[in-house]
Amino acid sequence: MTGIATDLLPATRDALSVLLLAMADDEFVIGFSDSEWTGIAPMLEEDVAMSSLAQDELGHAQALYRLLAEIVEDGRDADAIAFDRPPEGYYHARLLDHPRGDWAGTIARRYLYDTADGVRLDALAGSSFAPLRDLVGKIRREERYHRMHASSWLERLALTTGEPRLRLLDALARLSPDGASVLAPLPNELSLVMAGILETGSAELETRWRAEIGPVFERLDLPMPAAIAEPAAARTGHSEAFRRLWTDFTSVRHAEPGATW
Amino acid sequence: MTDQAPADRVLGPMAGSASPRASKGHEAKDRPDGGGLEPWEVFRQEKEGDPMRHGGSVMAPDAELAVHYAREMYGRRQESVRLWVVRRADVHDLTDPDLLQPPLDRSFKKPGGYVMRDKLAAARERTGKHKPRGSAR
Repeated sequence: MTGIATDLLPATRDALSVLLLAMADDEFVIGFSDSEWTGIAPMLEEDVAMSSLAQDELGHAQALYRLLAEIVEDGRDADAIAFDRPPEGYYHARLLDHPRGDWAGTIARRYLYDTADGVRLDALAGSSFAPLRDLVGKIRREERYHRMHASSWLERLALTTGEPRLRLLDALARLSPDGASVLAPLPNELSLVMAGILETGSAELETRWRAEIGPVFERLDLPMPAAIAEPAAARTGHSEAFRRLWTDFTSVRHAEPGATW
Repeated sequence: MTDQAPADRVLGPMAGSASPRASKGHEAKDRPDGGGLEPWEVFRQEKEGDPMRHGGSVMAPDAELAVHYAREMYGRRQESVRLWVVRRADVHDLTDPDLLQPPLDRSFKKPGGYVMRDKLAAARERTGKHKPRGSAR
């Protein structure tokens, strides 16, 4: 074995692979899902902005899948990992199983995801695994803008009485049980903490996340997301909406298996 | 995104709920539903030390989103190191030809009105110095 993760214990390497798969699938699914706004966003400028954000996420997913491929070394490249799994093989958080919904739904999901992802990235910024630390350094710089964008819109919808606020409240209620799913515990994450790859475990990350968004939700008078209903199933048993999305995003790949694009 | 009059752009997807006031450009921001858009002018600096040049404009309901959209339109491909975003209504527009293109000869107000070449050549002659590299006028 000549890979970049050969210094790691097998159990740590497996846990790292699971973490990377979770992060990559999260970025891939929200990126693809939000790209559905291309051409139909509320206004032209927002159309460009949302499409560009979605593209950023797909870029992050690609980089994470590549790193994963180097660690797993089973002959699959980033594309094979991204596209050649059945829907039940994806490991994204349940929050991203929800369809993009209306604009308020997309903004609510984006805000919950971007803030949780930000806390996760912060906990990897000083990772002992250099390839991940370097990649996270780059991703964090782009995610800063994503959070600014989501915050601007959350505030706008929350503070505009009438339909905007009602739609936002509706979306938050719908997403609430899965709101914290991005930070649900991962199998064997303790081995990542022990190896200095991840700063701290999921429970602490969720606490940090709630401490970060709590004051915002309070100021905007919005209900905080509930506790994760079923932490062990936070990344499995995907929805019908995701299956439709999967059919969509694998359709080109499946049209001509093995083709070079 | 456009140099058209604001009214042309306001007739977008958000115009369904827009009152006639929305077509008056910057006043649209006062509408209570917050749905009004107005044009913002974007200036960009390509690299440190360059002048700020007008890049174009974006439509946005307020400064915060205007900056986001300016970033997406004029900065997302790393083509800018700085952006200035200015509400179009805050730009004082001057096109009056009486002020800018006066009918009488004003060539004496241009630096070209005084041809320095011959004077410099004469001065060099007197001091015995040669013309420096590059050209002087």
